[in-house]
Amino acid sequence: MNTLINGLCLGGIYALIALGYTMVYGIAKMLNFAHGDIIMVGAYAIFSTMALMGHAVPAIVVAVVVCTLLGLLTERVAYRPLRGASPLAVLITAIGVSYLLQSIAQLIYGSKSRAVSLGNFGSVELFNVSISISSLITLGLCLIIMVALTLFIKKTKVGCAMLAVSEDRAAAQLMGINVNGIITLTFAIGSALAAFASTFYLMQIPSVTPTLGSMPGIKAFTAAVIGGIGSIPGAMIGGILLGVIEKLALSIPALAPYTTAIEFGLLIIILLVKPTGLLGKKRREKV
Amino acid sequence: MNTQNKLPVEKKKIKAKYFINYVFVLALLIPFTVTGLSGSVKGSTSLLLTQIAYSMILAVSLNLVVGFLGELSLGHAGFMCVGAYIGGFFANYLHTIIDSKLIVLILSMLVGGIMAALFGLLIGLPTLRLKGDYLAIVTLAFGEIVRTVFMNQEIFGGAMGLSTQKYGKLLYIIALTVALVTVFVAQNLMRSKHGRAIQAIRDNEIAARAMGVNVTYYKLVVFVIAAFFAGIAGVIYAHNTTPVDYGFFSFNYSIEILVMVVLGGMGNISGSLIAATVLTFINVKLTTHLSGDFAALKFLIYALILILIVMWNNAPKLAVLRNRFNLRRLVDSMMKKIRKKHESAAQEPGSNVEWDRIPTKIPMDTILSTDITPDHSLDPEKPEKPEKGDKK
Amino acid sequence: MKKFTKITCLVFALVFCAMGMISCGTSEGFVENTYKIGATGPLTGDNSSYGISVKEGAQIAIDEINANGGLNGVKFSFEMIDDVAAADKAATGYTTLFEKGMQVSIGSVTSGAAKSFGEAAKEDNVLFMTPSASAADVIATGAHGFRVCFGDPQQGTIAADELVKNYSKIGVIYDTSDTYSSGIYEAFEAQMTKLNKTKGTDYIVKTFNKENNKDFSTQVGDLKAAACDVLFLPFYYTEAGLVAKKAAQEGFNVPIFGCDGLDGIADQLDDSVTAEIKYITPFDVNSDDADVKKFVEAYKAKYNKTPDQFAADGYDAVMIIFEAMKAAKVDNVNITASELTELLKPILTGGEFKYSGVTGKNMIWTAEGSCEKEANIVTLDR
Repeated sequence: MNTLINGLCLGGIYALIALGYTMVYGIAKMLNFAHGDIIMVGAYAIFSTMALMGHAVPAIVVAVVVCTLLGLLTERVAYRPLRGASPLAVLITAIGVSYLLQSIAQLIYGSKSRAVSLGNFGSVELFNVSISISSLITLGLCLIIMVALTLFIKKTKVGCAMLAVSEDRAAAQLMGINVNGIITLTFAIGSALAAFASTFYLMQIPSVTPTLGSMPGIKAFTAAVIGGIGSIPGAMIGGILLGVIEKLALSIPALAPYTTAIEFGLLIIILLVKPTGLLGKKRREKV
Repeated sequence: MNTQNKLPVEKKKIKAKYFINYVFVLALLIPFTVTGLSGSVKGSTSLLLTQIAYSMILAVSLNLVVGFLGELSLGHAGFMCVGAYIGGFFANYLHTIIDSKLIVLILSMLVGGIMAALFGLLIGLPTLRLKGDYLAIVTLAFGEIVRTVFMNQEIFGGAMGLSTQKYGKLLYIIALTVALVTVFVAQNLMRSKHGRAIQAIRDNEIAARAMGVNVTYYKLVVFVIAAFFAGIAGVIYAHNTTPVDYGFFSFNYSIEILVMVVLGGMGNISGSLIAATVLTFINVKLTTHLSGDFAALKFLIYALILILIVMWNNAPKLAVLRNRFNLRRLVDSMMKKIRKKHESAAQEPGSNVEWDRIPTKIPMDTILSTDITPDHSLDPEKPEKPEKGDKK
Repeated sequence: MKKFTKITCLVFALVFCAMGMISCGTSEGFVENTYKIGATGPLTGDNSSYGISVKEGAQIAIDEINANGGLNGVKFSFEMIDDVAAADKAATGYTTLFEKGMQVSIGSVTSGAAKSFGEAAKEDNVLFMTPSASAADVIATGAHGFRVCFGDPQQGTIAADELVKNYSKIGVIYDTSDTYSSGIYEAFEAQMTKLNKTKGTDYIVKTFNKENNKDFSTQVGDLKAAACDVLFLPFYYTEAGLVAKKAAQEGFNVPIFGCDGLDGIADQLDDSVTAEIKYITPFDVNSDDADVKKFVEAYKAKYNKTPDQFAADGYDAVMIIFEAMKAAKVDNVNITASELTELLKPILTGGEFKYSGVTGKNMIWTAEGSCEKEANIVTLDR
């Protein structure tokens, strides 16, 4: 039971990161490998603000602002000039941006891990299981953000425009949608989500290092693919599934050393059964 | 008349293009073999050359998958890992029964390569029906699984890694020779009818299938061959470094190999060779020159170089600038001037078709969505079979 | 074919720019007419804080030696190359240093890299005195290998004895992907078996992989559910701090016991952690010892932070080499590495040479190269 809650909580974080991945992929058709490092930057932003002001709320606000601006900046400087170039070129640039952010973080903050405490909220007893309140907050807020995002995309005009761009960029442009603007907006939203993800990440794992983002980034990418890349509910399901599996594997001693293998093995199995992920759309190919 | 005169020249050009790859590897191999055998090669040079050699092997073999077959693979380091661990383990055993280091190396390379190829077959059979990014993430997952499993085996040294016996200073001679063999195999495979089938799959899988190409078979063949060479590169790594360190084979390394392929040019073997050499050189030099406090700058510089090169090569907006400073074009125009002087003045300037400049690898989609007019530059007949057109 | 000419030219241009930039600013590194001590260590990547600490500690030692006039008037210089804790880079780093004229070295910081360093150094017979690579394999590379810190087996055995004496149910978490952590655990398990304790009842083992995930909620939750009365954490302070905070969050305030890797945990904690933290360490930053005080002050003055175990080990490694060279009466600045090794080996293992520094008093070395010194168990005071 405890394992399950922990898994859900971790899964929520993966899901938030995966949402950023999947949105950017769905709309800009690029794998943003630097997404994990935006989380790292968000975490450092929280760390710095906490050191200055000592309170969590302004720190989160600052992190959201910093991450959003950073997302916009990387999009403008690194990705927009390559729009229309081969996807692999963009992929390499994203990797370059990822290295760049990591080394800048190391130059500024050093490589020693920095402790950040967003406060200890204690734990509560629910059905004979003690659950830490920060897990509950993480889980609750993750759900709220996901629902809000889904509503935003389904119900608002801008959301529809996003869907249109992801469906067919050229046609969307013909319909009068500002494609560049939509892509920029997507990056902004994805990066803001990354800032929230870094907040929740720090609640669970309260320390920051320059390489903090790379493994969650890969895991979230895996989660996005499990759920069907480009699909928002898919990213949620994928993230939560991955989190739960990871925690289950960790709690069984014989399997624990192989946790990574099990997680990625799950991915392979799911893709073998459903080649486009759990909720991925099948596209018929035409010549 | 004119075209008939020119044909032999063009043919030679193709050969020169393929030949240049061997020349490139030999240019590293021969002088350093001479200095190496005379005993005057520096330890750091020997290490660097070995690293360059296995980077070349990895880049060329990954290029077969990414550049020629058109499937994105992020698990190349995984195959290397299989080769390194199994080849290294086997070599440790062989050392107890065979004295000659060379024979041990060659045998273990074969074993490591074959094991990696087997893994390639195992992972390729079910997953190659996946497309694009899905295949990419599956191969990435495979790489991570492999190294986690090896790390947890006590017989492979656990977290410390597998202890192996180093081959010694002259390993690079063998490594570069293997690189030469890799280039030979890759080049000849791609020039054969099989190669054309493979490239047809890249250009348009459905069309290729319609033309009777056995898509699954060819995909598997390329995947297995690439895994085989990656495995061999792993064995070379295991003879160069001890302990064989599971951390080395992380997805970051797979990505590094991919970077070599992309920067060198997809489907371009010479490009892969040069990019592997240059990037390995930069990496090693940055690490060794930036000692102490400057070490953190290494990634910064490396990242900036990466981003700038990709921008320069790909940004649509830089196309004009790029063409202005295109060395190849400069060289070409100079060559043309020289050739004009040598050849008879009677030659009309417009008749030079320059078909080697026309992109020969046109994606099938582009062709099918283009109206083909007799003088259209995308006409696939001209670049492919000029002789036939002539005979008619 | 078309692209690569462009690329090559561009890349070479950039590299030369970069090289030019770098060559302008190097302040550390080997200097002519000095004794050259080389090292490799992780200066970037996940393990870089350890490498950087060693580098800084060693630099303090070099500064101190040079300020006191060096060895018979000859100064020392120190250079550390980044190896990202990877075996292949450690070998490359070693070769580069050797060609730059390294005469003696303090090896590498992490075990895997140090083993690779040791293997490479064996060919040239270069002595190394690793500050912190504790795996048994490292000094087993040959007679040229020595270390300053405790070995993993030593610590695992001490920990098992100590824990069994005081506690009845031990919760263990260790890192399967780390040589240091799994090395200590193996020795711990062996000693526990010797003490007739059974896995699962007397001690419960959980694992993690720091590359994969640093969320310890499952491990801590399971150990709490099993009602352990102590946590044994044989790994570095970065992750141990996370475990301590997670345990506090879960209201699981049992004592925490660790090895020398735990030193430096203080700034990883916050007010929520109230549990008692004890660890085996030869170095105590709050000690009243004169050597320690001098070192801590010098370190604080230069780097504006408190030194940790790695810095202290780095400092001692250089100092031991210096003292041994003094004892061997080395007076030729151009002595080759191999000659120096042959001079130093009998001194270090002779039994007469004893070194007292910041990580222990009266240290002596066995023929295998492991250091024998007293282990203290200190309680973190906050």
